[in-house]
Formats: sequence, C-alpha cells, structure tokens
Amino acid sequence: MTEPLGTPIQGVTLYSFTRASHQREYDLEALIRKVAAEGYGPGLEIIGFSSFRGFPEIDDSFAGWFKDLVAETGLVQTSLAVNADIGIHRDRLLNQDELIEYMRRQIKAAATLGFPIARVQISLTPDSMEQLVPIAEEYDVTLALEVHADQYASHPRILALRDRYEQVGSRHLAFTMDWGATVTGFAPSLLEAYRRRGASEDLLAAVVELWNGYYAEGPPANQQVHGQRFGSFIGLAARNGRPELGIDFAINGTGLFGPARVEDWLEILPWVRHVHGKFFGIDENHEEPSVPVRELVALLVENGYNGAISSEYEGWHWNHWQSPFDIIRDEQAVQRSAAANAGSRMITDRAEAARVLAAHLAAPVPHLT
Amino acid sequence: MIPDRIIEQGTLTAHGSRSSVEVRIPWYRALPGSCIAGAKLSIDGIPAAPETLRWEMNGTEFTFEELRDNTAEWWFPLDSAVLSGEVPVAADGGDHTVDVDLTLYIPYIVISDNEVLHIEEHDTKTMKAVNA
Repeated sequence: MTEPLGTPIQGVTLYSFTRASHQREYDLEALIRKVAAEGYGPGLEIIGFSSFRGFPEIDDSFAGWFKDLVAETGLVQTSLAVNADIGIHRDRLLNQDELIEYMRRQIKAAATLGFPIARVQISLTPDSMEQLVPIAEEYDVTLALEVHADQYASHPRILALRDRYEQVGSRHLAFTMDWGATVTGFAPSLLEAYRRRGASEDLLAAVVELWNGYYAEGPPANQQVHGQRFGSFIGLAARNGRPELGIDFAINGTGLFGPARVEDWLEILPWVRHVHGKFFGIDENHEEPSVPVRELVALLVENGYNGAISSEYEGWHWNHWQSPFDIIRDEQAVQRSAAANAGSRMITDRAEAARVLAAHLAAPVPHLT
Repeated sequence: MIPDRIIEQGTLTAHGSRSSVEVRIPWYRALPGSCIAGAKLSIDGIPAAPETLRWEMNGTEFTFEELRDNTAEWWFPLDSAVLSGEVPVAADGGDHTVDVDLTLYIPYIVISDNEVLHIEEHDTKTMKAVNA
C-alpha cells in the first residue's frame, strides 16, 4: 500500500524574531499581527517563558484576549514551547514529584491558551513522560519532546523514549523533530559573523574542515565523543590565537549543527507530531546553505506527515545585518517549493490548517506505517 | 546570546556614594531570581564591592543572597532590572565607562547529575550620568 502524501502546515515560531521582540520593536500583539500580515502562518508557535508575563500562571481574561487575537488574525495555534526547568533551585535538581507538578502547570497553561501541543525537552526521562500521560490526557495536550542537536533520532536516549511511547500507546506522547539535528554544513552566516569579529580565513577554513570531519563520521556515539568534539573546537581556536572564540565554536559546532543524516528521522517519524524547521540563513540563491530543507520536507511529505512545520530561524544570535522577517519569508518559499517538488503542497489556508492539524493530533499511534 | 543588550544606554544614575544602571536579560526567556547567580558593576574601571551590590526587579530590591532561593520573582525578557552598588559617579556631563558582568543559570540544560549550565556574560558601554 502506498502512503498518501502528507500536506505539512506552514507556520513559524516567534522565537525566530527574538531580537526584534527583545529590543521592544514589536510587542506580542504587534508581532502576532506582523506574522499574520506577512503570511508566515497559519501555524503559530510561542515559547511560554518568552512571551507570557507571569507564565505559567495565565488568567482567563488574558487567555480570552490572546485567543481572540489569534482568531482575528487568522492564525492557528500549534505548539506552546514549555521548559523542564529541573535545575530551578541552584543547589539541587527538582525531585520527581516537583518536576511533574512543574510540568503540569505549564501543560495546563497550554490548554488555557488554546495550544494543542506542548513542546517538552530531553531532560524528561521515559518514566517522566509516562507519568505525564494522565495530565496530558486530562488537558488534551500532546507532549512533543524535542529531538535537538546534540541528540538525534537514533540516539539511545531517544530510542528509549520511543520504545516507552510504543509500550504506553498514548497518542498524547510524541516527538518534535528539530532540523538542527540533521545539518550538512557549518552555517555560512555564522562564519561571516566570525569574519566580522576578525577571524582569519585560515581559521574559518579550519573550523569548516573540523566540522566536515565530524559530519563524515556522523553524530557522536556517546557523551564522551561529544565532549571530545566540543574540546576540539576550543583547542582549534586556542592554537590559532583566538581562544575567546573557542567556546562559541564549540557550542555552535556541536549543539546547533548536528551531523546526523536525514534518513535517521525514520527511526521515530511515526511519533513526530510537530516539527521545528530549524535553519540558520538564506544565501544569494534564496536557498538554505547548511540545512537540507528540501530533503527534509520531501521526507515528511513522502511519509504522510500532516502536522505543522514551525520555521525556526536561529541565525538571529549572530546575524545583525539581515532582517529575520525577510529570511523567514525566503525559507518558507523553499519549503513550499520542496513540497511541490515532492508532489504535494504546504497548507497555508487557516481553516484547512485547523482541520488537518486536529485530525493529525487525533490519529492513533503509530499513525504512519 | 544577546550580551550587547545587557546595559541600557543612558541609564547610569548617581545616588550619592552609589551608582545604578538598568540591565536587560541576555537570554530569550524569563528566568527566576534563583537563576540570577551574580553580577559585577564597575564605573570607569572602579568596581563596586560585591557585598554592596543590589538587584531591583519587579519593584523589589534584593541582595544576591536573597535571590538564591527565590523562584517567585521572574526576570521577564522585556523588563529592565536595576543593578546598583557602592561606587560613585559624577553627573558632570562627561562620559563614563560602565562594565557589567552577569552570571545566569540555565535551569533546563542539565550538564551533569547535579548541575545545570551557567553562562557568564559581559557588556561595556560609555554614557553620561544623571543624578537620582
């Protein structure tokens, strides 16, 4: 039997516009209106602790205002990104009961605000995810644990989660696929930022060569290898007389640019209910030079994925010279073109997006074969 | 992340023998007081003594010791906090160099069995002082 082609829903996370929001250029309402007016939706993802004052406490009148705004602007809420702040007390980690309660408040906030998905993070173990199922069911919020570099789909920790999901069989347990796990090069816009900080062409070439070597080897098999790679970027900067760039090379080279292959996602694809279309920039040909956006969209389409793709622009950390809005516009054009090339399309209509997303989240596990 | 935004331009204020400056979070999301682990403040290269530093957030002033256990007060990304300390500055129309260091704990990035990532960020800006 041939799998029907998927029709992913176009969308964006407001995280892409962190720099504009942080500098008070757009408040939450203005940013939502901008996203809608520019056609970056219909999917809308928001980080709770970034955009909602007092989060996770959300009063009903605020939630009403927010949901009215989303409806008026013709957007569709996809994921509320929540955080597993296990280290919120400086001297100890949260115990299990505290962690579950901490997550419960945020899952409740997702429901109050009208988000059907809560993006959760890798610090939640299989036991924690299983323990959260009754809460997710009570609020009818899908918990989509983000698979983010330096993890990847076939990493033992992710496979352990997948196996537990299979055992538990709840449609409220899922993954968020973050494209940063499957990157094909050190982002050129970040190299340009280092160049502007005075890094020599020789040093930049050496950074690229080091990363390409790790790409050839594939993702780190364990934390020890991850640590060695992290250290090698620091060593490279030091040997080249720019020790102050070492940590930056290391964090980005190992934590943002994950070297797994696109097909690695097949390990968990049936449990992927949300996607972070992570990317870092757009080149002069209007393509993403270091994230294989076209292959990733084709993979999703061919495997029948009908959830949202939140375009997640991460280049704002270092790219001060280009507008994040233009960059999002161009990256979404690449996604639409890739979906068309794969024989399908991205959903951009609000009503269709709402209908397809609801059906996607209601489908039993595994909803793909 | 966004360390260039820590010090708010034009907020250096003289309070007798003390000075204050407004600061922004160099991170994309709110953090509670317990994750604000420490700061340094220097004016024209002269540091305020650590025990004299105070942190004002959401209208309340704290010592860094008081912030240690505080998970009730949060530093929202759009809000300015006020860092002050015992170091004089003259509102004399001249330029002064302000240096601020911040140490923040990132509570969801666990790096070992009992430890989360902390980041140290620094910003320096030049501005004139005003009297309180």
